[in-house]
Amino acid sequence: MLFLIMSFSLPLNKKTTVYLIGDSTMADKEVKAYPETGWGMPFHYFFDSTVLVDNRAKNGRSTRTFIEEGRWKPVVEHLNPGDYVLIQFGHNDEVPTKKSYTTPGQFTANLVKFVTESRDKKAIPVLITPVARRKFDSSGKIEETHAIYTQLVKDVAAKYHVPLIDLDAKSQELVQQFGPESSKYLYNYLLPGENPHYPEGHKDDTHFSELGARKMAEIVLSEIKNLNLELANHIRVVLVEQKK
Amino acid sequence: MIKGNFKKALFVCLLGLVSFTLPIKKHTTIWMIGDSTMCQYDSSRFPLTGWGMPFAEYFDSSVTIKNEAKGGRSTRTFIAENRWQKVVENLNEGDYVFIQFGHNDEAKNYPDRYTAPDDYRNNLIKFIRESRDKKAIPVLITPVSRRKFANGNALETHEIYSKIVHEVAEQLNVPLIDLDAMSLKLLQQFGEKNSTLLFMQLAPGENPDYPSGIHDNTHFNAYGARHIAELVLQGIENLNLDLKDGIIEIKKKR
Repeated sequence: MLFLIMSFSLPLNKKTTVYLIGDSTMADKEVKAYPETGWGMPFHYFFDSTVLVDNRAKNGRSTRTFIEEGRWKPVVEHLNPGDYVLIQFGHNDEVPTKKSYTTPGQFTANLVKFVTESRDKKAIPVLITPVARRKFDSSGKIEETHAIYTQLVKDVAAKYHVPLIDLDAKSQELVQQFGPESSKYLYNYLLPGENPHYPEGHKDDTHFSELGARKMAEIVLSEIKNLNLELANHIRVVLVEQKK
Repeated sequence: MIKGNFKKALFVCLLGLVSFTLPIKKHTTIWMIGDSTMCQYDSSRFPLTGWGMPFAEYFDSSVTIKNEAKGGRSTRTFIAENRWQKVVENLNEGDYVFIQFGHNDEAKNYPDRYTAPDDYRNNLIKFIRESRDKKAIPVLITPVSRRKFANGNALETHEIYSKIVHEVAEQLNVPLIDLDAMSLKLLQQFGEKNSTLLFMQLAPGENPDYPSGIHDNTHFNAYGARHIAELVLQGIENLNLDLKDGIIEIKKKR
Protein backbone atom coordinates (compact mmCIF):
# COMPACT_ATOMS: atom_id res chain seq x y z
CA MET A 1 0.00 0.00 0.00
CA LEU A 2 2.73 2.41 1.04
CA PHE A 3 4.63 1.46 -2.04
CA LEU A 4 1.59 2.21 -4.16
CA ILE A 5 1.18 5.66 -2.63
CA MET A 6 4.84 6.39 -3.11
CA SER A 7 4.71 5.37 -6.72
CA PHE A 8 2.01 7.99 -7.24
CA SER A 9 3.56 10.79 -5.26
CA LEU A 10 7.07 10.16 -6.55
CA PRO A 11 6.63 9.67 -10.27
CA LEU A 12 9.41 7.70 -11.92
CA ASN A 13 12.62 9.60 -11.98
CA LYS A 14 12.64 9.34 -15.74
CA LYS A 15 13.80 12.04 -18.09
CA THR A 16 11.32 13.91 -20.20
CA THR A 17 12.37 14.00 -23.82
CA VAL A 18 11.61 17.08 -25.90
CA TYR A 19 11.70 16.15 -29.58
CA LEU A 20 12.25 18.94 -32.05
CA ILE A 21 10.97 18.29 -35.55
CA GLY A 22 11.38 20.87 -38.25
CA ASP A 23 13.70 22.40 -40.84
CA SER A 24 17.09 24.14 -41.14
CA THR A 25 16.08 27.09 -38.98
CA MET A 26 15.81 24.66 -36.05
CA ALA A 27 18.38 21.98 -36.96
CA ASP A 28 21.77 21.13 -35.47
CA LYS A 29 24.50 22.08 -37.95
CA GLU A 30 27.64 20.39 -39.18
CA VAL A 31 30.82 22.14 -38.07
CA LYS A 32 31.64 23.16 -41.65
CA ALA A 33 28.47 25.30 -41.71
CA TYR A 34 29.41 27.24 -38.54
CA PRO A 35 28.59 29.93 -37.59
CA GLU A 36 25.18 29.12 -39.12
CA THR A 37 23.15 28.00 -36.12
CA GLY A 38 19.69 26.45 -35.80
CA TRP A 39 17.66 27.62 -32.81
CA GLY A 40 17.43 24.04 -31.60
CA MET A 41 21.16 24.17 -30.82
CA PRO A 42 21.10 26.71 -27.97
CA PHE A 43 17.69 25.32 -26.94
CA HIS A 44 19.56 22.19 -25.74
CA TYR A 45 21.19 24.14 -22.92
CA PHE A 46 18.20 25.73 -21.22
CA PHE A 47 16.85 22.85 -19.18
CA ASP A 48 17.80 21.09 -16.00
CA SER A 49 19.01 17.49 -15.94
CA THR A 50 15.48 16.02 -15.99
CA VAL A 51 14.97 17.09 -19.61
CA LEU A 52 16.66 15.77 -22.70
CA VAL A 53 16.32 17.74 -25.93
CA ASP A 54 16.46 15.50 -29.00
CA ASN A 55 16.76 17.68 -32.08
CA ARG A 56 15.54 15.73 -35.13
CA ALA A 57 15.07 18.80 -37.33
CA LYS A 58 16.84 18.57 -40.68
CA ASN A 59 17.91 21.10 -43.29
CA GLY A 60 15.60 21.43 -46.30
CA ARG A 61 12.75 19.32 -44.97
CA SER A 62 9.04 20.02 -45.29
CA THR A 63 6.37 18.13 -43.33
CA ARG A 64 5.97 15.90 -46.39
CA THR A 65 9.64 15.00 -46.97
CA PHE A 66 10.21 14.63 -43.22
CA ILE A 67 7.54 11.93 -43.17
CA GLU A 68 8.47 10.36 -46.53
CA GLU A 69 12.10 9.92 -45.50
CA GLY A 70 11.02 8.00 -42.42
CA ARG A 71 12.11 10.71 -39.97
CA TRP A 72 8.79 10.94 -38.15
CA LYS A 73 8.26 7.21 -37.59
CA PRO A 74 11.23 6.67 -35.21
CA VAL A 75 10.13 9.70 -33.18
CA VAL A 76 6.62 8.28 -32.71
CA GLU A 77 8.02 4.87 -31.87
CA HIS A 78 10.19 6.28 -29.09
CA LEU A 79 7.63 8.64 -27.59
CA ASN A 80 6.83 8.06 -23.94
CA PRO A 81 3.90 9.51 -22.00
CA GLY A 82 4.73 13.07 -20.98
CA ASP A 83 7.32 13.62 -23.71
CA TYR A 84 7.00 16.75 -25.85
CA VAL A 85 7.03 17.17 -29.61
CA LEU A 86 7.86 20.71 -30.78
CA ILE A 87 6.76 21.07 -34.40
CA GLN A 88 8.04 23.87 -36.65
CA PHE A 89 7.72 23.55 -40.41
CA GLY A 90 6.75 25.86 -43.23
CA HIS A 91 9.88 27.27 -44.90
CA ASN A 92 10.20 24.36 -47.29
CA ASP A 93 6.54 23.44 -47.47
CA GLU A 94 5.44 26.83 -48.78
CA VAL A 95 7.78 27.26 -51.76
CA PRO A 96 6.13 25.85 -54.94
CA THR A 97 9.48 25.72 -56.80
CA LYS A 98 11.10 23.52 -54.15
CA LYS A 99 11.04 19.73 -54.38
CA SER A 100 9.84 19.74 -50.81
CA TYR A 101 6.72 21.76 -51.68
CA THR A 102 3.66 20.67 -49.76
CA THR A 103 0.22 21.97 -50.68
CA PRO A 104 -1.75 23.78 -47.95
CA GLY A 105 -4.16 20.85 -47.64
CA GLN A 106 -1.31 18.37 -47.31
CA PHE A 107 0.55 20.62 -44.83
CA THR A 108 -2.55 20.75 -42.62
CA ALA A 109 -3.02 16.99 -42.83
CA ASN A 110 0.62 16.37 -41.92
CA LEU A 111 0.43 18.66 -38.88
CA VAL A 112 -2.72 16.85 -37.77
CA LYS A 113 -0.85 13.56 -38.18
CA PHE A 114 2.00 14.79 -35.94
CA VAL A 115 -0.50 15.98 -33.33
CA THR A 116 -2.77 12.94 -33.22
CA GLU A 117 0.02 10.37 -33.33
CA SER A 118 1.86 12.19 -30.53
CA ARG A 119 -1.31 12.18 -28.45
CA ASP A 120 -1.88 8.51 -29.17
CA LYS A 121 1.39 7.96 -27.30
CA LYS A 122 0.28 10.37 -24.53
CA ALA A 123 2.97 12.80 -25.57
CA ILE A 124 2.33 16.56 -25.73
CA PRO A 125 2.54 18.19 -29.16
CA VAL A 126 3.32 21.91 -29.38
CA LEU A 127 2.80 23.73 -32.68
CA ILE A 128 5.21 26.51 -33.65
CA THR A 129 4.62 28.91 -36.53
CA PRO A 130 7.62 29.23 -38.91
CA VAL A 131 10.27 31.68 -37.68
CA ALA A 132 10.56 34.96 -39.58
CA ARG A 133 12.81 35.68 -42.52
CA ARG A 134 14.66 39.00 -42.62
CA LYS A 135 12.65 40.96 -45.15
CA PHE A 136 11.87 44.66 -44.84
CA ASP A 137 9.80 46.93 -47.06
CA SER A 138 11.19 50.26 -48.30
CA SER A 139 9.90 52.05 -45.20
CA GLY A 140 11.88 49.76 -42.90
CA LYS A 141 8.91 47.70 -41.77
CA ILE A 142 9.32 43.94 -41.55
CA GLU A 143 7.25 41.88 -43.99
CA GLU A 144 5.31 38.72 -43.23
CA THR A 145 6.86 35.92 -45.33
CA HIS A 146 4.79 32.95 -44.17
CA ALA A 147 1.26 34.41 -44.36
CA ILE A 148 -0.56 31.30 -45.60
CA TYR A 149 1.38 28.58 -43.80
CA THR A 150 1.49 30.38 -40.45
CA GLN A 151 -2.30 30.70 -40.60
CA LEU A 152 -2.58 26.96 -41.31
CA VAL A 153 -0.55 26.19 -38.17
CA LYS A 154 -2.84 28.46 -36.13
CA ASP A 155 -5.95 26.81 -37.60
CA VAL A 156 -4.75 23.34 -36.65
CA ALA A 157 -3.81 24.55 -33.16
CA ALA A 158 -7.27 26.07 -32.64
CA LYS A 159 -9.19 23.11 -34.03
CA TYR A 160 -7.24 20.48 -32.06
CA HIS A 161 -6.57 22.59 -28.94
CA VAL A 162 -2.83 22.29 -29.35
CA PRO A 163 -0.52 24.65 -27.40
CA LEU A 164 0.71 27.18 -29.96
CA ILE A 165 3.86 29.28 -30.04
CA ASP A 166 3.48 32.04 -32.60
CA LEU A 167 7.19 32.25 -33.33
CA ASP A 168 6.51 33.93 -36.67
CA ALA A 169 4.90 36.95 -34.98
CA LYS A 170 7.30 37.04 -32.02
CA SER A 171 10.42 36.77 -34.15
CA GLN A 172 9.10 39.47 -36.49
CA GLU A 173 8.77 41.75 -33.46
CA LEU A 174 12.36 41.02 -32.52
CA VAL A 175 13.72 41.56 -36.03
CA GLN A 176 11.72 44.80 -36.22
CA GLN A 177 13.29 45.97 -32.93
CA PHE A 178 16.74 45.38 -34.39
CA GLY A 179 15.74 47.17 -37.60
CA PRO A 180 16.86 46.70 -41.21
CA GLU A 181 20.60 47.16 -40.56
CA SER A 182 21.24 45.69 -37.10
CA SER A 183 19.02 42.67 -37.77
CA LYS A 184 21.86 41.34 -39.93
CA TYR A 185 23.57 40.42 -36.66
CA LEU A 186 20.81 37.88 -36.03
CA TYR A 187 21.30 36.12 -39.35
CA ASN A 188 24.32 34.49 -40.94
CA TYR A 189 25.91 37.60 -42.41
CA LEU A 190 29.69 37.42 -42.89
CA LEU A 191 32.10 39.78 -44.59
CA PRO A 192 34.52 38.44 -47.23
CA GLY A 193 37.63 37.15 -45.43
CA GLU A 194 35.94 37.26 -42.03
CA ASN A 195 35.29 33.56 -41.55
CA PRO A 196 37.28 30.64 -43.03
CA HIS A 197 34.13 28.61 -43.66
CA TYR A 198 32.79 31.41 -45.87
CA PRO A 199 35.89 32.98 -47.48
CA GLU A 200 33.83 35.01 -49.97
CA GLY A 201 31.48 36.23 -47.27
CA HIS A 202 27.82 35.38 -46.86
CA LYS A 203 24.42 37.04 -46.78
CA ASP A 204 21.59 34.91 -45.55
CA ASP A 205 18.16 36.26 -44.57
CA THR A 206 16.80 32.90 -43.42
CA HIS A 207 19.45 31.15 -41.36
CA PHE A 208 20.73 32.44 -38.05
CA SER A 209 24.01 33.39 -36.42
CA GLU A 210 24.69 32.16 -32.88
CA LEU A 211 23.04 35.36 -31.67
CA GLY A 212 19.85 34.99 -33.70
CA ALA A 213 19.51 31.31 -32.87
CA ARG A 214 19.82 32.03 -29.16
CA LYS A 215 17.29 34.86 -29.34
CA MET A 216 14.80 32.61 -31.14
CA ALA A 217 15.34 29.85 -28.59
CA GLU A 218 14.73 32.42 -25.83
CA ILE A 219 11.40 33.33 -27.44
CA VAL A 220 10.34 29.68 -27.57
CA LEU A 221 11.42 29.24 -23.97
CA SER A 222 9.48 32.32 -22.81
CA GLU A 223 6.39 31.07 -24.62
CA ILE A 224 6.70 27.67 -22.95
CA LYS A 225 6.51 29.60 -19.69
CA ASN A 226 3.55 31.69 -20.88
CA LEU A 227 1.67 28.57 -21.97
CA ASN A 228 2.14 27.17 -18.47
CA LEU A 229 3.42 23.90 -19.84
CA GLU A 230 4.76 21.58 -17.17
CA LEU A 231 8.04 21.70 -19.09
CA ALA A 232 8.52 25.28 -17.83
CA ASN A 233 9.21 23.89 -14.35
CA HIS A 234 12.40 22.32 -15.72
CA ILE A 235 14.00 25.44 -17.13
CA ARG A 236 17.33 25.72 -15.36
CA VAL A 237 18.26 28.80 -13.40
CA VAL A 238 21.78 30.08 -13.84
CA LEU A 239 23.16 31.68 -10.74
CA VAL A 240 25.17 34.69 -11.71
CA GLU A 241 28.40 34.83 -9.77
CA GLN A 242 28.62 37.88 -7.59
CA LYS A 243 31.78 39.91 -7.88
CA LYS A 244 33.77 39.56 -4.71
CA MET B 1 68.31 -4.56 -67.00
CA ILE B 2 68.42 -1.09 -68.51
CA LYS B 3 64.66 -1.19 -68.69
CA GLY B 4 64.53 -2.07 -64.99
CA ASN B 5 66.76 0.82 -64.02
CA PHE B 6 64.72 3.15 -66.14
CA LYS B 7 61.58 2.07 -64.36
CA LYS B 8 63.28 2.56 -61.01
CA ALA B 9 64.49 6.02 -62.02
CA LEU B 10 61.03 6.92 -63.25
CA PHE B 11 59.55 5.76 -59.97
CA VAL B 12 62.00 7.83 -57.92
CA CYS B 13 61.30 10.78 -60.19
CA LEU B 14 57.55 10.42 -59.74
CA LEU B 15 57.92 10.01 -56.00
CA GLY B 16 59.90 13.24 -55.91
CA LEU B 17 57.21 15.01 -57.89
CA VAL B 18 54.41 13.73 -55.71
CA SER B 19 56.21 14.74 -52.55
CA PHE B 20 56.55 18.26 -53.92
CA THR B 21 53.00 18.61 -55.13
CA LEU B 22 51.38 16.91 -52.16
CA PRO B 23 53.35 17.94 -49.10
CA ILE B 24 52.36 15.85 -46.14
CA LYS B 25 50.85 18.09 -43.48
CA LYS B 26 52.62 17.65 -40.18
CA HIS B 27 50.43 17.24 -37.18
CA THR B 28 50.73 20.03 -34.66
CA THR B 29 49.14 21.01 -31.36
CA ILE B 30 48.15 24.49 -30.26
CA TRP B 31 48.44 24.89 -26.50
CA MET B 32 46.29 27.79 -25.39
CA ILE B 33 47.20 29.44 -22.10
CA GLY B 34 45.22 32.37 -20.76
CA ASP B 35 42.21 33.48 -18.77
CA SER B 36 38.40 33.45 -18.74
CA THR B 37 38.09 35.26 -22.07
CA MET B 38 39.81 32.32 -23.80
CA CYS B 39 38.84 29.29 -21.75
CA GLN B 40 36.44 26.41 -22.19
CA TYR B 41 33.06 26.59 -20.41
CA ASP B 42 30.63 23.89 -19.47
CA SER B 43 27.30 24.09 -21.32
CA SER B 44 25.62 24.81 -17.98
CA ARG B 45 27.07 28.33 -18.24
CA PHE B 46 25.78 28.93 -21.80
CA PRO B 47 25.75 31.44 -23.49
CA LEU B 48 29.06 32.25 -21.74
CA THR B 49 31.78 31.32 -24.25
CA GLY B 50 35.56 31.68 -24.31
CA TRP B 51 37.03 32.52 -27.71
CA GLY B 52 39.10 29.33 -27.63
CA MET B 53 35.88 27.34 -28.02
CA PRO B 54 34.77 28.49 -31.51
CA PHE B 55 38.46 28.88 -32.47
CA ALA B 56 38.86 25.10 -32.29
CA GLU B 57 36.14 24.55 -34.92
CA TYR B 58 38.18 26.08 -37.74
CA PHE B 59 41.08 23.60 -38.05
CA ASP B 60 41.42 20.35 -39.95
CA SER B 61 42.67 17.10 -38.44
CA SER B 62 46.32 18.20 -38.73
CA VAL B 63 45.80 20.51 -35.75
CA THR B 64 44.83 19.60 -32.19
CA ILE B 65 43.71 22.34 -29.83
CA LYS B 66 44.52 22.02 -26.15
CA ASN B 67 42.73 24.83 -24.38
CA GLU B 68 44.43 25.08 -20.98
CA ALA B 69 43.16 28.60 -20.26
CA LYS B 70 41.40 29.02 -16.94
CA GLY B 71 39.06 31.67 -15.58
CA GLY B 72 40.53 34.15 -13.10
CA ARG B 73 44.17 33.28 -13.79
CA SER B 74 47.00 35.74 -14.21
CA THR B 75 50.45 34.75 -15.52
CA ARG B 76 51.50 34.48 -11.89
CA THR B 77 48.73 32.21 -10.63
CA PHE B 78 48.81 30.14 -13.82
CA ILE B 79 52.44 29.33 -13.03
CA ALA B 80 51.94 29.02 -9.26
CA GLU B 81 49.21 26.40 -9.76
CA ASN B 82 51.56 24.32 -11.93
CA ARG B 83 49.36 24.80 -14.96
CA TRP B 84 52.30 26.00 -17.05
CA GLN B 85 54.50 23.14 -15.88
CA LYS B 86 51.92 20.66 -17.17
CA VAL B 87 51.94 22.35 -20.60
CA VAL B 88 55.75 22.50 -20.86
CA GLU B 89 56.09 18.85 -20.00
CA ASN B 90 53.83 17.93 -22.89
CA LEU B 91 55.24 20.27 -25.53
CA ASN B 92 56.57 18.69 -28.69
CA GLU B 93 58.78 20.19 -31.37
CA GLY B 94 56.69 22.30 -33.74
CA ASP B 95 53.80 22.76 -31.30
CA TYR B 96 52.40 26.25 -30.82
CA VAL B 97 51.82 28.04 -27.53
CA PHE B 98 49.20 30.81 -27.72
CA ILE B 99 49.65 33.15 -24.78
CA GLN B 100 46.92 35.61 -23.77
CA PHE B 101 46.97 37.07 -20.29
CA GLY B 102 46.45 40.51 -18.80
CA HIS B 103 42.88 40.86 -17.49
CA ASN B 104 43.73 39.41 -14.08
CA ASP B 105 47.38 40.46 -13.99
CA GLU B 106 46.37 44.10 -14.19
CA ALA B 107 43.53 43.84 -11.63
CA LYS B 108 44.97 45.69 -8.63
CA ASN B 109 41.73 45.25 -6.70
CA TYR B 110 42.19 41.46 -6.76
CA PRO B 111 45.43 40.91 -4.81
CA ASP B 112 45.06 37.14 -5.25
CA ARG B 113 45.54 37.60 -9.02
CA TYR B 114 47.39 40.87 -9.45
CA THR B 115 50.82 40.65 -11.07
CA ALA B 116 53.04 43.73 -11.14
CA PRO B 117 54.18 44.89 -14.60
CA ASP B 118 57.73 43.60 -14.20
CA ASP B 119 56.56 40.21 -12.96
CA TYR B 120 54.12 40.05 -15.85
CA ARG B 121 56.96 40.74 -18.28
CA ASN B 122 59.18 38.10 -16.69
CA ASN B 123 56.42 35.53 -16.75
CA LEU B 124 55.80 36.12 -20.46
CA ILE B 125 59.54 35.73 -21.06
CA LYS B 126 59.48 32.47 -19.09
CA PHE B 127 56.64 31.12 -21.29
CA ILE B 128 58.61 32.04 -24.40
CA ARG B 129 62.02 30.72 -23.32
CA GLU B 130 60.67 27.44 -22.02
CA SER B 131 58.54 26.95 -25.15
CA ARG B 132 61.55 27.53 -27.34
CA ASP B 133 63.68 25.18 -25.23
CA LYS B 134 61.22 22.49 -26.32
CA LYS B 135 61.41 23.75 -29.94
CA ALA B 136 57.80 24.87 -29.72
CA ILE B 137 56.61 28.14 -31.24
CA PRO B 138 55.26 30.76 -28.82
CA VAL B 139 52.75 33.32 -30.11
CA LEU B 140 51.97 36.36 -27.97
CA ILE B 141 48.45 37.77 -27.95
CA THR B 142 47.56 41.10 -26.40
CA PRO B 143 44.57 40.87 -24.02
CA VAL B 144 41.22 41.10 -25.79
CA SER B 145 39.48 44.40 -25.20
CA ARG B 146 36.86 45.10 -22.60
CA ARG B 147 33.78 47.04 -23.67
CA LYS B 148 34.22 50.62 -22.53
CA PHE B 149 32.87 53.59 -24.44
CA ALA B 150 32.98 57.34 -23.96
CA ASN B 151 31.12 59.65 -26.33
CA GLY B 152 30.68 56.78 -28.77
CA ASN B 153 34.39 55.92 -28.84
CA ALA B 154 35.69 52.50 -27.79
CA LEU B 155 38.41 53.07 -25.20
CA GLU B 156 41.66 51.20 -24.67
CA THR B 157 41.27 49.06 -21.53
CA HIS B 158 44.67 47.36 -21.20
CA GLU B 159 47.03 50.26 -21.86
CA ILE B 160 49.98 49.19 -19.71
CA TYR B 161 49.75 45.41 -20.03
CA SER B 162 49.19 45.37 -23.79
CA LYS B 163 52.24 47.55 -24.21
CA ILE B 164 54.33 45.08 -22.21
CA VAL B 165 53.23 42.26 -24.52
CA HIS B 166 54.32 44.38 -27.51
CA GLU B 167 57.69 45.05 -25.93
CA VAL B 168 58.38 41.43 -25.09
CA ALA B 169 57.33 40.36 -28.60
CA GLU B 170 59.74 42.82 -30.15
CA GLN B 171 62.59 42.13 -27.74
CA LEU B 172 62.47 38.34 -28.21
CA ASN B 173 61.22 38.37 -31.79
CA VAL B 174 57.99 36.54 -31.00
CA PRO B 175 55.06 36.46 -33.46
CA LEU B 176 52.42 38.83 -32.08
CA ILE B 177 48.67 38.98 -32.61
CA ASP B 178 47.49 42.38 -31.43
CA LEU B 179 44.07 41.16 -30.35
CA ASP B 180 43.56 44.18 -28.11
CA ALA B 181 43.75 46.55 -31.09
CA MET B 182 41.80 44.22 -33.41
CA SER B 183 38.97 43.71 -30.92
CA LEU B 184 38.88 47.41 -30.06
CA LYS B 185 38.32 48.09 -33.76
CA LEU B 186 35.57 45.46 -33.83
CA LEU B 187 33.81 47.07 -30.86
CA GLN B 188 34.03 50.43 -32.60
CA GLN B 189 32.49 48.93 -35.75
CA PHE B 190 29.59 47.53 -33.72
CA GLY B 191 29.25 50.80 -31.84
CA GLU B 192 28.39 51.52 -28.24
CA LYS B 193 24.91 49.97 -28.26
CA ASN B 194 25.32 47.02 -30.63
CA SER B 195 28.63 45.94 -29.09
CA THR B 196 26.60 44.70 -26.10
CA LEU B 197 25.46 41.90 -28.45
CA LEU B 198 28.97 40.41 -28.25
CA PHE B 199 29.09 40.20 -24.45
CA MET B 200 27.27 38.44 -21.63
CA GLN B 201 24.52 41.01 -21.52
CA LEU B 202 20.99 39.82 -20.88
CA ALA B 203 18.10 42.00 -19.80
CA PRO B 204 16.13 40.76 -16.79
CA GLY B 205 13.56 38.29 -18.07
CA GLU B 206 15.04 38.19 -21.58
CA ASN B 207 16.50 34.80 -20.97
CA PRO B 208 14.35 32.64 -18.70
CA ASP B 209 17.36 30.95 -17.17
CA TYR B 210 18.98 34.27 -16.17
CA PRO B 211 15.86 35.71 -14.49
CA SER B 212 17.61 38.75 -13.06
CA GLY B 213 19.66 39.41 -16.18
CA ILE B 214 23.40 39.97 -16.44
CA HIS B 215 25.53 42.94 -17.43
CA ASP B 216 29.11 42.00 -18.24
CA ASN B 217 31.54 43.99 -20.40
CA THR B 218 34.39 41.49 -20.22
CA HIS B 219 33.06 38.03 -20.99
CA PHE B 220 31.70 37.02 -24.36
CA ASN B 221 28.61 35.17 -25.45
CA ALA B 222 28.80 32.62 -28.28
CA TYR B 223 28.41 35.33 -30.91
CA GLY B 224 31.15 37.55 -29.48
CA ALA B 225 33.54 34.65 -28.86
CA ARG B 226 33.25 33.63 -32.50
CA HIS B 227 34.04 37.16 -33.69
CA ILE B 228 37.14 37.21 -31.47
CA ALA B 229 38.18 33.77 -32.74
CA GLU B 230 37.85 35.10 -36.31
CA LEU B 231 40.28 37.90 -35.44
CA VAL B 232 42.85 35.44 -34.08
CA LEU B 233 42.47 33.28 -37.20
CA GLN B 234 43.10 36.40 -39.30
CA GLY B 235 46.13 37.09 -37.10
CA ILE B 236 47.52 33.63 -37.96
CA GLU B 237 47.03 34.36 -41.67
CA ASN B 238 48.66 37.78 -41.37
CA LEU B 239 51.69 36.35 -39.56
CA ASN B 240 51.93 33.69 -42.27
CA LEU B 241 52.51 30.98 -39.65
CA ASP B 242 52.73 27.43 -41.09
CA LEU B 243 49.73 26.79 -38.92
CA LYS B 244 47.56 28.63 -41.43
CA ASP B 245 47.56 25.54 -43.68
CA GLY B 246 45.53 23.77 -41.02
CA ILE B 247 42.69 26.33 -41.16
CA ILE B 248 39.68 24.96 -42.97
CA GLU B 249 38.76 27.21 -45.87
CA ILE B 250 35.56 26.12 -47.52
CA LYS B 251 35.95 27.53 -51.00
CA LYS B 252 33.05 25.98 -52.82
CA LYS B 253 29.95 27.99 -53.58
CA ARG B 254 27.06 27.12 -51.37
